[in-house]
Amino acid sequence: MTNPKPKSKSKSRKKTSKKKAVKKKAVKKPSGRLRFLFNRYTLLGLIAFVLFFSSYLVYLNIQITEKMSGRIWSLPSHVYARPLELYQGKHLTVKQLISELKQTEYSRVQNRPTKPGQFRVLNESHFEIISRNFTYWDGEQKSQGIRLSIYDNKISILHELYSDKTLPIFRMEPVKFAGIYPSTKEDRQLIKLDEVPDDLVLALLAVEDRRFYEHWGVDPRSIVRAMLANLMAGGTVQGGSTLTQQLVKNLFLSPERTLSRKINEALMAILLEISYDKSVILETYINEVYLGQNGAQQIHGFELASQYYFANSLRKLRRDQMALLVGLVKGPSWYEPRKHPDRAKARRDQVLKLMHERGALSLAQLNKYKSLGLGLAKKPRFSANRFPALVDLVKRQLKQDYNEDDLKSSGLQIFTSIDPYIQSQAEASVKRVISRLEKSYKQAENLQTSLIVASSQQGEIQAMVSDRKPSFPGFNRSLDAVRQIGSLIKPAIYLTALQQPQRYTLASRLDDSPLRIKTSKENLWSPQNYDKKFSGDILLFEALNKSRNVPTVRLGLDVGLSDISDTLHNLGVRRDIPAYPSMTLGAFSLSPFDVANMYQTFAANGFNVPLKVIREVLNKDGRPLKRYPLESEKTIDEKSIYLVNRVLHQVTQTGTAKSLANLFPQSLAGKTGTTDDLRDSWFAGFSDNQLAVTWIGRDDNASTGLTGSSGALRLWSDLFAHLNVDSLEMIQPAGVNNVWIDAESGGLSNKNCLGAVELPFIQGSEPTEKAECKSVGIIDQIKRFFK
Amino acid sequence: MQISRNYRSNQTFLQIVPYKQTLFLLLSLFLFTACSPQAVLDKPASGVLPVADSAQLPDVIKTLISQSDHQFLNNDFAGALATLERAVRINPRYAEVWSRMAQVYLKQGKIEQARQHAKRSNSVIKNNDSLRKFNNEIITSDSIEDSSVIQKEQAH
Repeated sequence: MTNPKPKSKSKSRKKTSKKKAVKKKAVKKPSGRLRFLFNRYTLLGLIAFVLFFSSYLVYLNIQITEKMSGRIWSLPSHVYARPLELYQGKHLTVKQLISELKQTEYSRVQNRPTKPGQFRVLNESHFEIISRNFTYWDGEQKSQGIRLSIYDNKISILHELYSDKTLPIFRMEPVKFAGIYPSTKEDRQLIKLDEVPDDLVLALLAVEDRRFYEHWGVDPRSIVRAMLANLMAGGTVQGGSTLTQQLVKNLFLSPERTLSRKINEALMAILLEISYDKSVILETYINEVYLGQNGAQQIHGFELASQYYFANSLRKLRRDQMALLVGLVKGPSWYEPRKHPDRAKARRDQVLKLMHERGALSLAQLNKYKSLGLGLAKKPRFSANRFPALVDLVKRQLKQDYNEDDLKSSGLQIFTSIDPYIQSQAEASVKRVISRLEKSYKQAENLQTSLIVASSQQGEIQAMVSDRKPSFPGFNRSLDAVRQIGSLIKPAIYLTALQQPQRYTLASRLDDSPLRIKTSKENLWSPQNYDKKFSGDILLFEALNKSRNVPTVRLGLDVGLSDISDTLHNLGVRRDIPAYPSMTLGAFSLSPFDVANMYQTFAANGFNVPLKVIREVLNKDGRPLKRYPLESEKTIDEKSIYLVNRVLHQVTQTGTAKSLANLFPQSLAGKTGTTDDLRDSWFAGFSDNQLAVTWIGRDDNASTGLTGSSGALRLWSDLFAHLNVDSLEMIQPAGVNNVWIDAESGGLSNKNCLGAVELPFIQGSEPTEKAECKSVGIIDQIKRFFK
Repeated sequence: MQISRNYRSNQTFLQIVPYKQTLFLLLSLFLFTACSPQAVLDKPASGVLPVADSAQLPDVIKTLISQSDHQFLNNDFAGALATLERAVRINPRYAEVWSRMAQVYLKQGKIEQARQHAKRSNSVIKNNDSLRKFNNEIITSDSIEDSSVIQKEQAH
């Protein structure tokens, strides 16, 4: 405190000194008290402040180390389709290959491709492709040039690009078809600092933080410079934040502009600089910075941004492209190059100029780069999850090994068996057939559906649709719609019977006459055939072929419900099966996935291969984590299942699915299923290479007005008409003989007799009684020929 | 009505040269690896292993088998299985591929999976008694020690 200045020199010294004494006295007393107060409270306050401040610093530091030492980012997991294997003789159309290349973001060029990720097509049949490096489960496959020709929808030649050397096989990088994103919707691809091009680092530091290697997290000089620049411009034109401050802001703080946030930012920046090396800070920044938005996904980090804007890795960008990315840091949406190319170009040129000033570009280079266009790639197509049912299946199958958080944040690379072509065909078939059915059948409305396609021998899921609008996320009917299966049960019952060849053969006579079963004291059950008629006696193979209910119930009760249940489990059904008589007509519920598991065992001739979708999982760095190998177990003997498969083939010729005979020259097998009141329409069928199960029904379980043949079979056949279908090739096991029998009586016959059919029998079970033989007349022979 | 009309039965699909010979070659190679692993690494697998004998196999399958043999000899059993699975995806009808998977499982000590794959191999054999016999040896062995394939290897 200073004394007041004397107002006039004329005031007496005495007076003055008196005044002084009074003042001194007056001041002295309170001053002593104040000093006391000052000393005491200030000290306490100071101590409290120091305590508070240091614990606050410790708190901030804990936040920093937790985030930096643990997992800094949530990295989404990516789900890949199967890689397309190219080899001579492979069935592949030109359209399919082009679609596959486009989905993997290959660019079509007019001249000979020169860079990885390019291809050209000559005469709509010859392809020249330069693949990219890609890391598979079994190691990295280097970029390679290949050329191939497609003739008659098959690969006729597969060569190296620049030589005549034949390639026996080439694996194309797989389509990335979905991501499992963290709740923050952030997407990024990590890059190590030593992989980041020097020019990018130089440009970044030139634009964002020139004194990065000199400051301690906060740069007062930059702040002053920025303040001056802002004052001169009358608004915010320059930020004084260092890279470290920007990183702190992005990693730890909310975006609002308050003084307290600014102080926190500065404190944390300094703490970060104390604890971490500059290179760690720079690498983290390069991977963290927000650089754009693709639908719901946020593009973070330079590597992903490079792929998002240029479909190329950061290492391979031209310097002008790097300059654009660096320019985007200032405002990814304001400078969004696809929306605002002029703004983006101006910003890029500014960055190029700075690079020139820093000596990274010569004047000639600067002018050359400034004259170039932005060089953007086409916007990547997938953004949101277009395959909700498939991703759900992938997640469920991974759940045994990884928890939900790992899936969303560990950056796993998940390789599946999904075939993008089959998936797109399946989706198209669903849309086409469901609307067609609703137009053709009055009762058919609000239909819902499920479709599952798997490879028949390996049980690998290739496609799955769980909603009439395939990209609609919600109830996954393929996995969770548990519905009565109707006649789809029948092959399991006949299989159970045929496993006892001494009792049952395909030529056994079954009773198709009215039947009453006492189910309880008061209740009687009288099963009916679909046509409400009874055919008297019928041979076993024909009863299955024509899906007769009444003889099936008799057969089922005869072989025993528990034996049927055992067979179902051997076929791969994991649910409990109720042991009441109506189960023989499929009055119990399975999901389409369960049914696919069950029929897969028929398709693989008695080998149960649990259906799976995941092949391998790699970590974020491409190191193998886990492989899910093909596992199969022989659960049904090959002879009895062969007999049933022969009848299931016959079903597609003369039975309930005979419409397939006119549509497909290939040999197929399958079974229709219809439930009471036409609530569910099913078809399960297979070719040599594919198995598919289709279901059509309503969520409210009301009648659809469709049988298995008029509904689900149509969907199945529509899909298979668009696939490459290999004719079913059944290998007759040793110990099974073909014998001609009379289709009426089941007795021995020969091929020249009227009504004779050739059926397979397990050795020793052939009929011994001879049937009466009426010779085949000329007319019958002609009829037979045309049949 | 004739059930068998649309069915092509017993077509000759794959004929493989006597399997004993291939087995012998493979076992000799094991012995060779034990003595000098580097020497085997330097040798092209396809020149030594019986793949070249399987004239009926298409090039793509031969290449993958050869690759899996190489992985097998380098004790990369999971890799060998993954490569054989690629072959199975291309065409699951080659008994030799399934049988090789059985061999890899056997070497891994997974006897049950070895048996199952040997059975699968048998299920697609059309005309190859020696391969069937080889598979049956794996199927009937009660343990890894029982397996004549391993016994022969140890005897060497």
